Amino acid sequence: MTTKSVAIAPKSTVRVAPSVLAGIGAFAAVGAYVLVASIDLGLWTSLGPGAGLFPFAMGAVLVAMSVVWLIQELRKPSQTAEGVDRGLVLAVVLSLVVLAAVLDLIGFQLGMFLFLMYHLKLRGRRGWPSSLITALAGSVGAFYAFNYGLNVSLPVSAFPLLNTIGL
Amino acid sequence: MDTLNELMGGFAAAMTWQNLLFAFLGCLLGTIIGVLPGIGPVAGVALLIPLTLNLDATGAIIMLCAIFYGTAYGGTITSVLLNTPGEAASAITTIDGYAMTKIGKAGAALTIAAVGSFVGGTVATIGLVAAAKPLGELGLLVGPPEFFALMVVGISLLVALAGKSMVKAVISGALGLLIAMVGIDPVAGAPRFTFGMDRLLDGVSFVAVIVGVFGLSELLSYRKDTATPIVHAPNLRSLLPTRGEWRRSAPAMARGTGIGFGLGLIPGMTGSVSSLLAYGAEKKFSRHRNELGKGAIEGVAGPETANNSHANAALIPLFTLGIPASPTIAVLMGAFLQQGLTPGPTLFTEHSEIAWAIIASLFIGNLLLLLLNVPLVGLWTSILRVPSSILTALILLFMVIGAYTINFSVFDVFVMIGFGLLGLALRHLDIPLAPMVLTLVLGPLMERSLRESLEISQGDFSIFTSRPISAVLIGLGLLIVFSPLLKLRKPKALNEDPET
Amino acid sequence: MKTRARIAAALAAASLIALTGCGANAGATNAPAGDFPKKGKTIDLVVAFSSGGAVDTAARLIQPILEKELGTNVEVINKPGAGGQIGYTQLTSAKPDGYTIGATGSPSVVVSPLDPARGAKYTRDSFQPLGRQVIDPTVIAVQPDSPYKTLKELLDAAKASPKSLTASTTGLQTGEHFALAQIQENTSSEFAPVHFSEGASQATTAFLGKHVDVLVANVSDVTDLTKQGKARVLGVMTSERAPSLPDVPTFKEAGYDLEAGTVRGYSAPAGLPDDVAKKLEAAIKTAIEDPTVKEKMSALGLQTSYLSGEDYKQFWAGQEEDFKKVLPLVQKTN
Repeated sequence: MTTKSVAIAPKSTVRVAPSVLAGIGAFAAVGAYVLVASIDLGLWTSLGPGAGLFPFAMGAVLVAMSVVWLIQELRKPSQTAEGVDRGLVLAVVLSLVVLAAVLDLIGFQLGMFLFLMYHLKLRGRRGWPSSLITALAGSVGAFYAFNYGLNVSLPVSAFPLLNTIGL
Repeated sequence: MDTLNELMGGFAAAMTWQNLLFAFLGCLLGTIIGVLPGIGPVAGVALLIPLTLNLDATGAIIMLCAIFYGTAYGGTITSVLLNTPGEAASAITTIDGYAMTKIGKAGAALTIAAVGSFVGGTVATIGLVAAAKPLGELGLLVGPPEFFALMVVGISLLVALAGKSMVKAVISGALGLLIAMVGIDPVAGAPRFTFGMDRLLDGVSFVAVIVGVFGLSELLSYRKDTATPIVHAPNLRSLLPTRGEWRRSAPAMARGTGIGFGLGLIPGMTGSVSSLLAYGAEKKFSRHRNELGKGAIEGVAGPETANNSHANAALIPLFTLGIPASPTIAVLMGAFLQQGLTPGPTLFTEHSEIAWAIIASLFIGNLLLLLLNVPLVGLWTSILRVPSSILTALILLFMVIGAYTINFSVFDVFVMIGFGLLGLALRHLDIPLAPMVLTLVLGPLMERSLRESLEISQGDFSIFTSRPISAVLIGLGLLIVFSPLLKLRKPKALNEDPET
Repeated sequence: MKTRARIAAALAAASLIALTGCGANAGATNAPAGDFPKKGKTIDLVVAFSSGGAVDTAARLIQPILEKELGTNVEVINKPGAGGQIGYTQLTSAKPDGYTIGATGSPSVVVSPLDPARGAKYTRDSFQPLGRQVIDPTVIAVQPDSPYKTLKELLDAAKASPKSLTASTTGLQTGEHFALAQIQENTSSEFAPVHFSEGASQATTAFLGKHVDVLVANVSDVTDLTKQGKARVLGVMTSERAPSLPDVPTFKEAGYDLEAGTVRGYSAPAGLPDDVAKKLEAAIKTAIEDPTVKEKMSALGLQTSYLSGEDYKQFWAGQEEDFKKVLPLVQKTN
C-alpha cells in the first residue's frame, strides 16, 4: 500500500535516485582530483602556460557542473532511466574480460572460438551447425584473413604445445 | 580552372582499381552499418578504422569516407521497410516511408530516397570542390586564437543541442577533454594522469574509447534480445516510381539539398536536424502537404536528400578548417590524424593529391551507392533477417579485433571494456555521449591552440576578444550557451538521437 | 534456420575475404638473404613531427629507396607532439626487432631526456643510431612587409623593448628555442617564444597568417618561402652562407658570433640484433647517399652530410655534453 502511494505521490516526496547521486558524486570527485593534480603539474611557468592549466579549467568545470546538477536534482529529481538487463551486461562483460585475459595465453583462434561458441550456443541457443560455422569463420577464418590478407597479426598461443599446431 | 585540373588529377588517383575497391567496400560496409539498427555511424566508423591502418593514407580515408556516407544511405532502408530507423538521421523518414510500404509503394520510396541521396550528396560535394580553395586560403587568417574560438563555437553548439540538459552535456564534454589529456603533455612533455603506467604515455587509445563508449555500451543497454523482424524485399518491378512521383519529388529534393547543405556547414549540427527541418519545409511548402503522413513521396524525398546533402557538406569544415561538425566526422578526423594527415588549411597545400583523390572518391562513392542501393535491396533485407544472437556475436568479434589491433595489445581491449561500462553508466544517467566524442578528438588541438594563443599574448586572455574574428566567434559561442532567446525548442525525436 | 546461419556465415566470410584483397600489394623485390626483414611485414619509420616539415620530407624521400633496399614496405608514421617527445617515446618503447625505426633530430632528442621536468622515459642509451643525414642551420626570418631589413635592426628592436616581438619555435627545448635563448644570452635581445610543438609546418602556417612576427626555422623550411616572397630571411646561424640562400648574411657577418642548427638522422630502439642493425644501417646509407635523394635535398637547400651509425653515436654524445651546458637557458625557473 505504502509503496504504491509513493509511486504515484506528487513530486515533492520523490527523492533523488541513488544512482544519480552516485554519478554526481563520482563526477565531483574526478573533478576535484583533477584540480589538485593539475596544480602539481603547474598552471603557469616561467616558460608560459603550464601543463596543468587546461586540466585545471576542466576540473573546475566538472566540479561546478556537478554542483549545478545536484541543485537541479534536489529541486526537481529526474526520472531515472530504465534499468539495464543485468544478466546481459554481466554475461557480455565477464566473457570479454575472460577473453582479453587469456588472449595472449591460448591465442586468438582458440580464445575467440570459445567466446563465440559461448555467445552463440549457450547464450544465443543456436543450433550446433550454425554456431560451429559462425564461430569457426570468426576465429580461424578471421585469424588467417587478417594475418595473411591485411598483414595484421592477431595473437598466437604462448603455450608451445598449442603454438606448434598453429593456434 | 586550377581547381578543375586538380579535381581531374584526383579522379585519376581515385580510379585505380585498388581505390575503387576501397570505395566499394566502404559503401558496402557503410550501408550494412546503416541497415543494422544496433550499431550507429559513430561506433561503426571507429570499429572499422583498424582495418584501414595498414593501407596507404588515400585508400584508408577513401574507405572510411565511403563508410561514413554509406551509413546515411543504409539508414533509410529500415526506416521505410520496418518503421525503425537504422540511424537517427532517417528517423523522420519512417512517417511517410513506412506509410508507403503499407500501401505497397515501398519500392518507389526506396528508389526516390536513393536518388535524392545521390542528388544531395553530389551537390554538396560540388560545393566542397568550389569552397576548398578559397576557404583553404582563408584558413591562414585562422591563427591559434581563432582556431580555439572556432572549436568553442562548435562544442557549444553541440552542447546546446545535445540531450535534455545542458549541464549534462557540459559534463560529457569535460570528460572527453580529460580523457584526451591522459598521456604526455603535447607542449611541455610532462606525463599527465598516467598513474605511473607506461602504457598510458601515448594516451588512451581513441578507437578503444569510441568503440567502448558508443558500440559496446549500446550493445549492453539492450533490454532483451529482440525478436528478428520479418521483412520482405519489395520485388524489383515495383521499384520504379511513377512519373507523377518523380515530378512531386523534384522540388522536395531541391529544398532538401539546400537545407542539408546549409546546416551541414555549421559545426555541431547533426544530420537529424537537417532531415527534421526538411520534413518541416515540406509540411509548409509542398503542394501535397495535406497528404504528408499518409505516404506522401515528398516526406521521403525531402529528408533523405537533406540528410545526405548534410553528410557531405559537413566534410567542408573538416577539409578546409579542420573542424569536425559532428561526432561521426570527429571519428573520421581521428582517422585522418592516425594516417598523419591534419585536416585543415594545410591539407590542400601539403597533401593536395590525397585531398583531391578523396574528394573525387566522394563523387564515385555517391554514384556507387545509387547503383548498389536499389538493386541490392534484397541483400540488405536479408541482413535484417540474420538472428540477433549471431549479429551480437559478430559485432563483439569486430570490437575485440578493432581494439586489439590498434596497438597490438590486450590492454586496449580492457580499455574498451572499461569505457563500455562508462558509456552504460552515462546512458543510465541520461548524459549525452556526443559532446564527449567531439572533445576527445578536439581536446589536444584545443589545448594546443589555447596555449599557443597565450604564448602569443604572453598570458593575456584578452587575445581572444581583441582579435576581431575570434571575438565574434567567442561571442557567438557565449550567445549559444547562455542566451534564452536562442533556446531552440528541439523536436522530441532529437532527444532519442544517439548522434546528439 | 540453416539458411539464416549460412547467410550470416557467408556475410562474415565475404567481408573478411573482400578485405583480404586490400593489403596484397607488397611490392617486394630482391629479398635479402637473412630472415630480416620478413617479406610483406611493414617497417614503421616514426617521424616525431607533423607532416610537411623538413624531418618528414627527408624521411619520405629516403622511404622508397629503403623499400627497394630492404625488399619490404616502409611506412612513414607521424607522431607529432611535445616537440618530438611523443614520437621518441613511441620509437624507444617499440620492440628492437628492426620493424620500428625513427627519424631523430637534435637538439630535441638529445635534450628532452636531460630535463627532469619533462619526465621522458628514454635516455641517449635507449637509441641505437643508424646514420646521420644532414645538418640544417637555423635561420631568422620576418614578414616580407616588416620594418626590419637587417638582422641588427631586428635584434636591436628586440633589445629595446623585450618580448614585444613573437617568435616561433617547433616546441619547448627544440633547436629554435635554443637559438632564441643563445641570442638572448649573447645580445640581450629578447623575443617572446611561441611553441608550435607539432613541428615546422604549424609554425610556418602561423607565420604565413601573420600570427607570429618572427619565424625561427631551418634553412630547408624557408628556401621555398623566400623564392615565393613570403618571408624575408635576415640571417643564417652558421659559419658560411647557405648555398640556397646566397643573399642572406650569416650571423657572424652581421657581427654576432652564434651558430645553431638541427641535426637529423635515423635511429632504432636500442638492442637490435647485430645482423638486423647492419642491414638497416647499410640500407640507410644507400638511401641517404642516393644521388636523386641528395639532389632533392639540395633543392630544399640542404647539403647531405652522412655519418655512419657509430660516428653518429659519437656525435650524439658530444652534443649531449654541449647542450647540458646551455640547458638552463631554456628550463623553467621555479
